Amino acid sequence: MRIGLLTEGGYPYASGEAHGWCDRLVRGLTGHDFALYALITDPRQEARGPVELPVNARLMGQARLWGDIPTGRRRAAGRRARRRFAEHFGDLAAACVALSAGEPAAGAEAAADGQADRFASGLYGLADLARGSAALPALLRSEDAVRALEAVCHGAGAPSAVRGAQVADLLAVAAELEPALRPLSLAWYGDAGLAAVDLCHAASAGTAALPGLLAKRFFGTPLLVTEHGVGLREHYLAHPAAPRTVPVRVLLAAFRRALAAETYARAALITPGGTRARRWQERCGADPARLRTVYPGMAAGPFAAVPDTAADDSATLVWTGAIAPDKDLVGLLHAFADLRRTVPAATLRIIGGLGADPEAAGYRAQCRALAAQLFPDEAADARTAGENPVSFEEIGGPTAPTAADAYASATVVVLSSAVEGFPRSLVEAMFCGRATVSTDTGAVCEVIGGTGLVVPPRNPRALADACRALLGDPERRARLGAAARARAFELFTVEQNIAAFRGIYLELIASAPGGPAGCGAGDGVPRPFARPAESRVPGEPPPTGTARTPSWAQAEQADPAGQTGGRSRRTRRGAAGEPAAGQVW
Amino acid sequence: MTAPESDTAAPPARPAPRHGPADPVKILMYRHRTLCERAVDPLEIAAGLEAHGVTDRAAARFRHRDVFSLAEELYARVPRADGPERGASAGPEDEPEAPNPAPAPDPAAPAPAPRSRFARGAVQLLPGAIGLATVAAHASVVAPTPPVRGAVDAAGLLLTVLAVRLALRHGPLRLRRGPGSRTAVLGAVWAVGYAVYGDWLLAQLLSGGPDVPGPHPRAAVAAAVALACVIAPAAGCAHWFARRARRGVVASRALAELAARVRPLLIGATLLFVVAAGALTVGAQLLLARAGSPGGRWAVPAVVALAVLLFLARLLAVHGFPAAAAAGLGGAAALEAVALALVLTARLPGLARLGTPVEALVAAAGPAAVPAVACAVAALGLLVRGLRALTGACAHPPADMPERPGGTPVGDPAEAHRP
Repeated sequence: MRIGLLTEGGYPYASGEAHGWCDRLVRGLTGHDFALYALITDPRQEARGPVELPVNARLMGQARLWGDIPTGRRRAAGRRARRRFAEHFGDLAAACVALSAGEPAAGAEAAADGQADRFASGLYGLADLARGSAALPALLRSEDAVRALEAVCHGAGAPSAVRGAQVADLLAVAAELEPALRPLSLAWYGDAGLAAVDLCHAASAGTAALPGLLAKRFFGTPLLVTEHGVGLREHYLAHPAAPRTVPVRVLLAAFRRALAAETYARAALITPGGTRARRWQERCGADPARLRTVYPGMAAGPFAAVPDTAADDSATLVWTGAIAPDKDLVGLLHAFADLRRTVPAATLRIIGGLGADPEAAGYRAQCRALAAQLFPDEAADARTAGENPVSFEEIGGPTAPTAADAYASATVVVLSSAVEGFPRSLVEAMFCGRATVSTDTGAVCEVIGGTGLVVPPRNPRALADACRALLGDPERRARLGAAARARAFELFTVEQNIAAFRGIYLELIASAPGGPAGCGAGDGVPRPFARPAESRVPGEPPPTGTARTPSWAQAEQADPAGQTGGRSRRTRRGAAGEPAAGQVW
Repeated sequence: MTAPESDTAAPPARPAPRHGPADPVKILMYRHRTLCERAVDPLEIAAGLEAHGVTDRAAARFRHRDVFSLAEELYARVPRADGPERGASAGPEDEPEAPNPAPAPDPAAPAPAPRSRFARGAVQLLPGAIGLATVAAHASVVAPTPPVRGAVDAAGLLLTVLAVRLALRHGPLRLRRGPGSRTAVLGAVWAVGYAVYGDWLLAQLLSGGPDVPGPHPRAAVAAAVALACVIAPAAGCAHWFARRARRGVVASRALAELAARVRPLLIGATLLFVVAAGALTVGAQLLLARAGSPGGRWAVPAVVALAVLLFLARLLAVHGFPAAAAAGLGGAAALEAVALALVLTARLPGLARLGTPVEALVAAAGPAAVPAVACAVAALGLLVRGLRALTGACAHPPADMPERPGGTPVGDPAEAHRP
């Protein structure tokens, strides 16, 4: 099967969260071909260049989302194209403004649907226009766009937040929308491009999903959206270099929301990476029936070999992660001080480098100072040098060469964050079969699921009590550790992630219509293997009209299809589907 | 809300008894006031709260089902900071994510150092200075043999062309959006060439020439020097126009208002430039064309018209309308070429009447009337186009708009050049 993987600012360029899972997916599903379409958001990423791709993946398209208009077309748009553009762009803008008009009150569902339709018609109108070889980026930055925005913002019924928009605001909005809509005008929708793809897999619901939406519209290709961090949420949290005025933020937020809603509405399946993403997606209008949580996979290999906790009375607490104020190490130190009153032998290892936060270095110094203040250095006797019970180490240092070694030395692993996303260090500790004490933040409860102790965040005493309970009860520690290891290997391995996506791909392709609406129906050429076996589920009436040719008749039947020039996607899928089927089943 | 406070102060998301019997949401509201005031919808508050560690469990303490409904309550209760954003000082604590206040885009970027300003201004004066120096060198060659004079002229011409290139690539006459069109360059070169040699050529053609081993072509040196000198006022006017227009963009609320603001600016800049170009041309004529120019008494208007045409074309190209600029310059060049062609065609038997209009014009006002008319018509056309195109918002993007990669920021050199 040929998967179009659509990424934005991630694979195969940057290294990061989205990069990681895309890479593992592409390397894991060797039976499928991946055509990568990358939108690059950052000049630095581009300068670094793409990573080396495995044999089953090819970088089919890449485009920048910043700077000047990439198309070399110098031809100015004609009057007719400009009129159509103004109409469609006006629809898009009007839908955004109406969406930003405030809370959809009870009973306004129909109105919201109408606006979504209007947004969609504007979006696809622009797409058709761009496909008809009009220079859409130039139009989006033209006076027509500004005029359409002005008409909408200063028109009747506009909310007060956008009614105060100045000309400079309108210009800023137009300049921001142009890169966001740039995928519409890319040359990715040709016969060799997304038309030849069986399934589009978008790595976010924002701009990256636009090519998928168009492929869905033009060719009927099913769209799968995977989001670990929700794009809309990141849009709200992102802070552009230049501060934006209120009308600009209102309009852009409304545009992102409408785009996300449209993506969720058209996607055949949405796979959030956790409960939080799922809730955001439901909030943005995703149908819960089409949501399927697929936890991000993590490489369990190095941690599988770590032995279970020894049932001795060792008392080493280990904290790992990137040091940042969010991690509330100060609270952890206070909890440890509380713990030491009853367990004087306890030691705490804080293992990790500095986080990306600019305050991280200062925070680490502060934590070191606090540790020195709280705990005097201790020595075994009068002749040996003293040592602090709290040590700050880094992975790769002599005391903790690998993360697995760090976890192996732990009696209990502690996670003290005040703010947390998906707690990777907690999953690693679970892989190592360690009992954990963590704070109730982010996805912690979801990940730990009863195989560790959870305390409220910013509560040192509760943290200390939980640690004390575990340190004093080796049997419970072992039980929890074993359960955690079983749970982690069940849910958070790369293998489960890949297996889930393999199943989802097959399911989607099976339920997809046989081919694009436009091609193949008229010429009457039979298309053997155009659909995989799953499409013939019992109960469904056998498809009539298009003949199902037995496999022995395939050779002479397939030839005319190639010669008549009808090199449609359907034949290609038939050809590409066979090895895939052989591989997977 | 930073961690150091957290261990001394109360936890953020907890209406602990020590806070007194206040409304728990009120405390949250107070803590995140900046976030709530600048939020454009409840989802933004929800995102901000989540980034501060407020989970659904925490929201349950505020008697809300999830963060979203908590955010909705906050959104409903905190008055919006509509209009221009308020400063972060309103908030009790500095939210770590609060952006800088006062986002009103100020077109007046910090003024660059005066030295670089002078340097940039000097770049615009360079072509005129080199042109004058060339003329002076030509006149003061000690041994006036043709090869020496030819070498001096060629060197001066080369230096002047380089200086013009430099002046057009820096400062307010720099093209900010993509490369210029080739048609425009060809048209400009043709029109300038015609201004220098065209009058002589037309006179020759009308008098039956040019003879094959004919006389040395007579160049309108004064016109060339005037055109080189006129770059400085062109840069000044373009800069003034761009700066005032950008200020207009920031100040106006509607596009019609902006157009009403910019229209007089464009006319004013053009008139200012006409005056400056006229003064410079007259000066150059008085200084250099003592022997009388080959163009007759319309020589000065012809040069001024050409200068205005070049100015308007460059202005349009700089503000993102290279096609219009190319059309104007190409039109003028075509008119001039047609005039020459008509005179030549009139020599064919039976087509003598074709040359009549040009002959009449030249007889009435001298050969310079032809480029004067051609350039004036084209310049008028460009002015009309400019009154429509340059009064739009897209012609004046604010300084912080995305630029071509590798290009310098827009505002900086434009601000720098202040003659």
